Amino acid sequence: MLAEGIFIYLAAAITILSVLVITRKNPVHSVITMLVLFFHIAALYVTLNAEFLAAVQVIVYAGAILVLFLFVILLLNLKEEAVARRYVGPWPLGLMAAVGLFLAIIVSLDSFVAGPKGAFTTEVIKAETNTKALGKILFTEYLYPFEVVSIVLLVAIIGAIVLAKKRLRS
Amino acid sequence: MIPLHWYLWLSAVVFMVGVAGFLMRRNIIIMFMSIELMLNAVNISLVSFSRYLDDMRGQILVFFIIAVAAAEAAIGLGIIIALFRNKVTAHVDEANEMKG
Amino acid sequence: MTLNDLAPLIPLMVIAVSSVIIMLGIAFYRSRAFSGLLTLAGIAVAFITLFGVQGTRQVTSLLILDDYALFYIGLILAASFVVALLSSDYLEGRRENIEEFYILLLLSTLGSSVLAASTHFVSFFIGLEILSVSLYALIAYTRNELNIEAGVKYLVLAAASSAFLLFGIALLYGETGTMEFSRMSSGISAQGINKGMLLTGFALVLTGVGFKLAVAPFHMWTPDVYEGAPAPVTAFVATVSKGGVFALLLRYFIQVDMHAYPSLFGAVAFIAVASMFAGNLLALLQKNIKRILAYSSIAHLGYLLVAFLAGGVMRVTAVTFYLVAYFITTLGAFGVVTMLSGKERDADAVEDYQGLFRHRPWLALIFSAMLFSLAGIPLTAGFIGKFYIVAAGAGSALWLLVIMLVINSAIGLYYYLRIIVVLYAQPGHSEVSAVSSLPLTGSLVLVLLTVLLLWLGVYPEPLIEMIHRMTMRF
Repeated sequence: MLAEGIFIYLAAAITILSVLVITRKNPVHSVITMLVLFFHIAALYVTLNAEFLAAVQVIVYAGAILVLFLFVILLLNLKEEAVARRYVGPWPLGLMAAVGLFLAIIVSLDSFVAGPKGAFTTEVIKAETNTKALGKILFTEYLYPFEVVSIVLLVAIIGAIVLAKKRLRS
Repeated sequence: MIPLHWYLWLSAVVFMVGVAGFLMRRNIIIMFMSIELMLNAVNISLVSFSRYLDDMRGQILVFFIIAVAAAEAAIGLGIIIALFRNKVTAHVDEANEMKG
Repeated sequence: MTLNDLAPLIPLMVIAVSSVIIMLGIAFYRSRAFSGLLTLAGIAVAFITLFGVQGTRQVTSLLILDDYALFYIGLILAASFVVALLSSDYLEGRRENIEEFYILLLLSTLGSSVLAASTHFVSFFIGLEILSVSLYALIAYTRNELNIEAGVKYLVLAAASSAFLLFGIALLYGETGTMEFSRMSSGISAQGINKGMLLTGFALVLTGVGFKLAVAPFHMWTPDVYEGAPAPVTAFVATVSKGGVFALLLRYFIQVDMHAYPSLFGAVAFIAVASMFAGNLLALLQKNIKRILAYSSIAHLGYLLVAFLAGGVMRVTAVTFYLVAYFITTLGAFGVVTMLSGKERDADAVEDYQGLFRHRPWLALIFSAMLFSLAGIPLTAGFIGKFYIVAAGAGSALWLLVIMLVINSAIGLYYYLRIIVVLYAQPGHSEVSAVSSLPLTGSLVLVLLTVLLLWLGVYPEPLIEMIHRMTMRF
């Protein structure tokens, strides 16, 4: 009962906060709302026995990515100016597209049957802790992608510097 | 135990909100945040699948998604800064031309 | 995991290491020639090491280095070698520091190569992201207004399409409990065939991949990005990025038999027809060469999907040969645009090419050859490629699709010929034709591409043999 109660609170909070994120006029308000949202998602991960990801969610998403957003907003002091062309004409059309997609996913949920079970039952994870179980797979089976992700970060560093650097006037 | 369907519903709702924000807003920063919302929706469903399938691999993918999201945010914001620099410099050049 | 496991990854590691060497090199000694040479050397060494990989090597469950992967990695490396050669002269004077361009170019090549060797959704996702993240920076690299606008557009749409792709992957993972391509197919057949959730998952994955391949109805970004990006980068987007994704798509649907899902088959057939018509009809309305080539690439991806829908070994041959021809032609066409571009803007208006034959007969002839190949005129590689696609389609009795393809080739002929007519018309008044001298490396590359194009058009047997050998061990 307690578990259900916690889930319902988290789900309600996540839904409301995510709607708030996309409806705020001022991007700074959106970022702050998103910060609260990310903490709730981290709590949701804890209810799913994913403590390590909960920590990563707070540290990377809330700590790094959102701070980056805030920095850029402050740096550029942009509120209304940062506009791009909308991809789907008027906004009600966009809303309809999103709701249509949602209905497609929800309808297909009816036919959902979970795939075959793996070896990491709650007991196994409890015995060796979530982080250790994750680390074991990450550093054996997924070692190469783990290394390759460092290249994604390298690309991002170089790309961001190349693009945001001040122009040299010769 | 909470049924898996509850988590998938939540994930679908957050994904829908992200798509709606992406399609309805014109502010680039908010469009970008909508994409982050969509990624978080994906992460919720992956973590819950991972939990209910007793398989860690879903969580590994979430780990990679978070890392890549950070990289994408960095470069995306770099482009946005470049966009604004360009606009500002364009204004400055106009001002110079006016002085003639 | 042992040292032995690392050996087949040497080609990929060479590219990664050379990008790091260039980065460190820039810190001490900034020189365009030096970085450029290092890049070319890195790609060349990686290409040579491809021949050292023996047999089929599965490296963990994520990557496989079989003949198919090696062939596509070779193709990708060759294409980025050409792009690196073309861009060195183009970038000079357009931006103060151009050395970082090479690092990004190498890394996106790496991303595309990882795609060609992926057998797992995790390596697929990461390869795709390396490719797209470096493309954001490459597209906006020279930082003029058009570039950055194109970069923002590509960034926003590519990031959103990745989110769709990931949601699809998550649903497929939930249904089958695995992210490996080979185990997924058995997981799917265990789950029964017409399942709503699986189809939604596939639809979302196709949406994500469709954006990267720029097929209709996910093609809106293509003309803007092609027009806005620097010409050599456009060549790169059109070839390397699409080639890697297509190689992966083909591998995935060889493992997972698409013919078992009529609705999925229908969706891809719809995408193929829509791409052919959207590409060719909208190209008729354009006055900008880069945009025409963008729409024509949408149409060509539609043709490729027709071959993709055909069954059996034939489709691998048809798709691979067509992709090789498409690579050569697209690189050649954008190479001509690159060579003619002045410092102020790219030579992308049709008027810029008016009477090119009078000023630069050789360049005009090369451009005509490329356009003939795109149109699928005999004696060019494009013709043989189209022939194989029609043969593959007819072999699987996809008559409707084949008829659509023939109709579209006829429409396509019109706008390719229109450009060719302009090339041989009376010279107009254009500053572009007055570019003083053409860079030597670029000219050599273009001549080489043209020779390859005609050689494949007249004598395709060696390449066909090679592809057959590759598919035999599949």
